[in-house]
Amino acid sequence: MTILGPSGCGKTTLIKVISGIWTPTEGKVYVDGRDVTNIPMEDRDVGYVFQNIALFPHMNLRDNVEYSPRVKDQGDERMAELSEEYLKLVGMFQRAGMLPSELSGGEQQKVAIARALASGSKMLMLDEPLSALDARVRVELRYELRRIVKKLGITVLHVTHDQEEAMSVSDRIVLMRYGAIAESGAPLDIYRRPKSVFAANFIGETNLFECTVSDWSKSGKTRVTMRGGREIRVSRTDFRPGDAVVVSVRPEHVRPDEDGIEAKVRSVSFRGVYWRVRTMAESSDYIEYDVPADGEVPEVGDTVRLSFDRNASVVFPRPEGGIEEEIRLE
Amino acid sequence: MSLLKKIDEISGSYKARNAWLTFAIVLFIAIIVIPAIFVVTKLFTEWDLVSGVLNDPASMEVIEGAVWNSFSIAAIVTVIDILVGLPMAWIMVRRDFKGKKWLDTLLDMPLAFPTAVLGISVVMFWGAPEGITIPGLGLDLSPYVMLLFLHIIFTYPYMVRSLSGILEQIDVNYETAAMTLGASKWTAVRTITIPLFRAGLATGFILCFARSLSETGGTYIALTMMGVESTFFTGPSFISWLKSDPTMVDSGDYMGAMILISVVMIVLALILLVVVKWIIARFRIPWKKVWPEIGRSVSRGPLPKVKDVITVVFLIIVVLLPSFYIFAYLTEPIPDIDYGTLLSSTGVSFLVAGVAVLVDLILGIPLSLYIARHKGGKLAGILDGLVNVPLIIPTTALGFSLALFWASFGAGDSMAIVLVILGHISFTYPLVVRNLVGAIEEVNPECEEIAMTLGAKPFRAFRTILMPIIKSSVVAGCILAFTRSLGETGATIAISDSVSTVPIYITNLVQDHMYTEAAMCSIVLIAICFVLMMVVRMLTHRRQGRDA
Repeated sequence: MTILGPSGCGKTTLIKVISGIWTPTEGKVYVDGRDVTNIPMEDRDVGYVFQNIALFPHMNLRDNVEYSPRVKDQGDERMAELSEEYLKLVGMFQRAGMLPSELSGGEQQKVAIARALASGSKMLMLDEPLSALDARVRVELRYELRRIVKKLGITVLHVTHDQEEAMSVSDRIVLMRYGAIAESGAPLDIYRRPKSVFAANFIGETNLFECTVSDWSKSGKTRVTMRGGREIRVSRTDFRPGDAVVVSVRPEHVRPDEDGIEAKVRSVSFRGVYWRVRTMAESSDYIEYDVPADGEVPEVGDTVRLSFDRNASVVFPRPEGGIEEEIRLE
Repeated sequence: MSLLKKIDEISGSYKARNAWLTFAIVLFIAIIVIPAIFVVTKLFTEWDLVSGVLNDPASMEVIEGAVWNSFSIAAIVTVIDILVGLPMAWIMVRRDFKGKKWLDTLLDMPLAFPTAVLGISVVMFWGAPEGITIPGLGLDLSPYVMLLFLHIIFTYPYMVRSLSGILEQIDVNYETAAMTLGASKWTAVRTITIPLFRAGLATGFILCFARSLSETGGTYIALTMMGVESTFFTGPSFISWLKSDPTMVDSGDYMGAMILISVVMIVLALILLVVVKWIIARFRIPWKKVWPEIGRSVSRGPLPKVKDVITVVFLIIVVLLPSFYIFAYLTEPIPDIDYGTLLSSTGVSFLVAGVAVLVDLILGIPLSLYIARHKGGKLAGILDGLVNVPLIIPTTALGFSLALFWASFGAGDSMAIVLVILGHISFTYPLVVRNLVGAIEEVNPECEEIAMTLGAKPFRAFRTILMPIIKSSVVAGCILAFTRSLGETGATIAISDSVSTVPIYITNLVQDHMYTEAAMCSIVLIAICFVLMMVVRMLTHRRQGRDA
């Protein structure tokens, strides 16, 4: 499970409280239905992996991994067994005698994970474990991490502010904001059917239009009017005519269409697999859409006509503070 | 301004910068390093005098005793400082509580007190010396134990400061990680944090050991007040005692004994520095063995609280109360103080300290820049080591050596004040340079590089970019050096009898058993120090405010 949210939303606080590093000022922590609020962190058996890795610099890799069995006095044999098992699991057994400073960041983090696992805990907290690493290593380690976790069948709470990372590693995403859970669900559900403008904007990329509902039929068919007066069809909703709404459409669902909304191209940028085209519609809303790398790319200043798949759009009630306030990250 | 501009221009030349650096290095070696250890050569040129002392069993017994006292006191004091300094460092770095700022200021207080004053205050507090009307605890302590108490006071702040400095840099996550892995607090600290301390322990150890080894004023005053100054010696107090007895000064024995004890103290101190560095570089604090049960029982329940309470009580009873006890004299009627002498000696003290710090800065900046920016280089390493030399040499021996060195160039008593200033430069220089190097290392060199790519000449980049960033460390270093110079007794006595600084004046009063007068002068001196520190702090604060 991933805990996702902008910086300062309380993600790290949450897992520090769960693991016992911090004591909550109020409320209780339950693990498996058991109240663990008053159990100190050293007895709580919740593994924790730090963003800055924090391998003990004066110990080699083996001693780092053996630290937990050592302080729990589990005996030399058990220590050797555990360090071999977990160092092999993360593919670092060959280098067990090295010092942490001789390793790259990604390798260090793997050992840190092995160290946390060797404590035998069935719960692992990962505090932005990949964000201190280089971009490419970060992506590779994602899959490695998921493989290890699935193999051991343990529960992992993975904190990150990177929505792409959240979607690719987890079974479930919990989106946090202002110290509370905003919404949660499987990555695909939360991407396709976000429950708030904030979620739509934070997870993935999207175009947001401020509209007013102009027509609604019993079957849920809804039409809305954009700023500037153009009427468009959106997905089925329960809104009534006159309701102020926000319509969210992902760039990949926008396509050129002869009868679509007229918009002027403002910028075109190459993203590898596709071109991202940013346009401004007559309603002065920005609309972004993608053109395949080998497709026909408009030039800045061109006028294009765009429409979108109405079933892929999501309609929200218009937030009171306005869109800007709603999608603000800090 | 035009002068600054001119220097800016000149600093653009690589040759000019090198010349300046060379000049600073040469001066550093010529007026600080060589005079400090010059006395060692006397061992060969004046061998007759020395061998005279060596063949005199009575003198040798005194000298051996003095050296043994100095080193054993320094060792015991340093160990106690480490034991009580570690929990205090934890309180200062890892805790947040009301009044932390107060505690922080209180910790440094003993550093602002001239040690001569501390000597009076400590004996007053623990003992009941003759001629003092203010009641103390009245314990009948041996001179050795009394000196332990005294030396703890002025070494303790150094230890807590160096330990806190390192602890601040040790990521708290190491400890937390250990605890989430099942280690109790005690086990985590013992196996993780303490083993990471090594460098800090070395610095603290050397600072405390050297400070205790070289302290003269307070030690001599304490011994005088206890009436044992001519029977119980430490290395530096032996030199003071020799100096104080005019009948001795003219005899050949005097020269021989002075040379011998100075050389012994210098050589042992240097050997110790090397040995300590060597041991600490190799010694690993063992962490493999753990006792989970013991760790658990000392991490829970009342024990951690008890440890904190003991730490704070120790600070109050052993360090703070004895330091401030001299203020009890404020309850007495004010005696007739010879204000003329007090003022003139205060003037001399400030002149010496002020000039010394100024020279420290001028000579210290190019050297600090070089050391900090060439970390790992050979020359930088050598210079870095040399800077420490005057720090660990007992200041009395240093002063004696320096006086001999300049006397060999014909510098007589007319030059006394200049020689005293040179002496004070020697032992304050390391304090300023240490602070400067530490501060410069913290600053990303790219800041200056950017300034230079924007067209600033090196000196301009230095004074407009680097200097404002490190200013507070520079000021701290200067205050430290200034107060250290203001409180110094040993070096001044050893260099000249005619220059009377405040600590010397106070020492003389104590020798004449005029305790009330001595105490009042001490209080005046402390007050001046505080006002000065406050003014400097306010000035730097205001300027920072305007710059921002």
